[in-house]
Amino acid sequence: MSSHREAPEIAKDPVADSTDVYAFMHPTEPDQVVIIANFIPLQQPNGGPNFYEFGDDVLYEINVSNTNKCRPDVTYRFNFKTEVKGNSFLYNNGVIDSLDSDKWLRPQTYTIVRVKNAGRKNEQFERIGDTFKVPPVNVGPRSTPNYSDLAEAAVVETGGRKFFCGQRSDAFFVDLGSIFDLGALRPFQNLHLLPMAAMDGINSVQSYNCHTIAIQVPVSDLVKGGNPSKSPKDRKNTIGVWATASRAKARIFNEKQGKFKNRGPAVQVSRLGNPLVNEVLIPMGQKDEWNAAPINGDSDYASSVLQPELQGLLPFLYPGVFPNLAAYNKPRVDLAAILLTGIPGGIVPGFQNYTGPVQADMLRLNTAIPPTPKDSDSYSIYGVVGGDLGGFPNGRRIEDDVTGIELRAVAGVTIPLVDPDYEPDGAAALLQDGTTNTNEPLLDEFPFLGHPGGGFQTVPGTTSSEDPDA
Amino acid sequence: MAAAGAGAAATTVVALSAGSAQAKPALLRGKGANEPVLVLVEDHKAATLRLLVGDQEVVVEDRDLVTRILNAAGGK
Repeated sequence: MSSHREAPEIAKDPVADSTDVYAFMHPTEPDQVVIIANFIPLQQPNGGPNFYEFGDDVLYEINVSNTNKCRPDVTYRFNFKTEVKGNSFLYNNGVIDSLDSDKWLRPQTYTIVRVKNAGRKNEQFERIGDTFKVPPVNVGPRSTPNYSDLAEAAVVETGGRKFFCGQRSDAFFVDLGSIFDLGALRPFQNLHLLPMAAMDGINSVQSYNCHTIAIQVPVSDLVKGGNPSKSPKDRKNTIGVWATASRAKARIFNEKQGKFKNRGPAVQVSRLGNPLVNEVLIPMGQKDEWNAAPINGDSDYASSVLQPELQGLLPFLYPGVFPNLAAYNKPRVDLAAILLTGIPGGIVPGFQNYTGPVQADMLRLNTAIPPTPKDSDSYSIYGVVGGDLGGFPNGRRIEDDVTGIELRAVAGVTIPLVDPDYEPDGAAALLQDGTTNTNEPLLDEFPFLGHPGGGFQTVPGTTSSEDPDA
Repeated sequence: MAAAGAGAAATTVVALSAGSAQAKPALLRGKGANEPVLVLVEDHKAATLRLLVGDQEVVVEDRDLVTRILNAAGGK
């Protein structure tokens, strides 16, 4: 998936596992940027009594680079605190009808600190607030009726910014079960090395929740000098965005309390910029160290982008379908531009999101390119590849089919951007996993992600243990 | 003081001063830590100690102290 359980170590630590990052211009307020960072993957909505929650012992950060050094110039830092009320085994002992309900026995609050130049000598801190409330999880119609009201009450508006931290429906859609069964894409699996009848894809993320940290801030909060211009060619308008989660360097288990105690400074255990980079491009043996590494050291991993393993697998798994890709043996500088440096001017007409030569995995958003209205002819869930400059890899909108975009890119669709003599295989521009966004409907306003599925309302999946060969 | 890497099943309590019986007892200074400290010797051949205290990490270069801790960890 985008980055759900993508590396061995972080798969054991879901509370700190970043799963998706989105960064896009607000659809109706074009001077505002929305950044969404999701954590805690694949939450079954009915997972009580210890429902999912942010980790009090995890430091969550949304980072923005606004220079060519690809380091955190602006950071929004989130710390959570959970209160345990009463002496019950339950999450709630009555109807939770407000964020202040005394029936909610495990409420969580959070602090936000905005940091400029984090970790540097000229580091500056702005404390935005320290008692903001996380809404409860969606337990069910008896415990959390009118869930949308609870969630709406948790949207914070302060100083021209908006914040939301809480459970949401995951919006990523992908056919996980098929892709990791030897790279099968169900719509094309009749052409697979081990063929089966073609069929529609199955959205593996449907009905799962995640925990979201969302911010909506003015562009001037993020660009260098706080003074954006209207020109897409102006390099200062492009920002780099990534999320991180950090934990104390050491934990000691206190046997008397049955709990871990933290010792030492917070160190990064998870990071995420572009979708699917660690998931699909970085080899298994390097995934953990990649998660802990600073983004501006990503030249160490550039070979995995320049010679992606998946590029070699596609012609092998789909014999005869990708002859031109099979014969292409040059470094994939097109992928390096998309994922590691941004796309320089002069390659895609009217577009650039280049941040300089430092290779770093960030979402790069050119804030001078206005959002594309959904009812516009130029709107495409395939983003820039589909002719829509408002979508991935110009940042990432929630609706963008990043699996389809990156499949097509790896399959060669973007090679002509840097190598005009190359002719992509006919199948490359058609690749998709056959899924659509069948998750909860998105909201029209902040925080945009749909409400989480309720525990009571959720029907378990379809796995059959009686007939494993079916 | 806890030594990192100690086995989970058994804990050996060792008086650190036992390996340095000839040394004067150290006095706690005003700026000394007054909370639990985790001592980490990542490379037993080097002189570096990492002290994890609160949310801080203090790096100390002291081969003699490393040696005394290694001896203590070995039960000597």
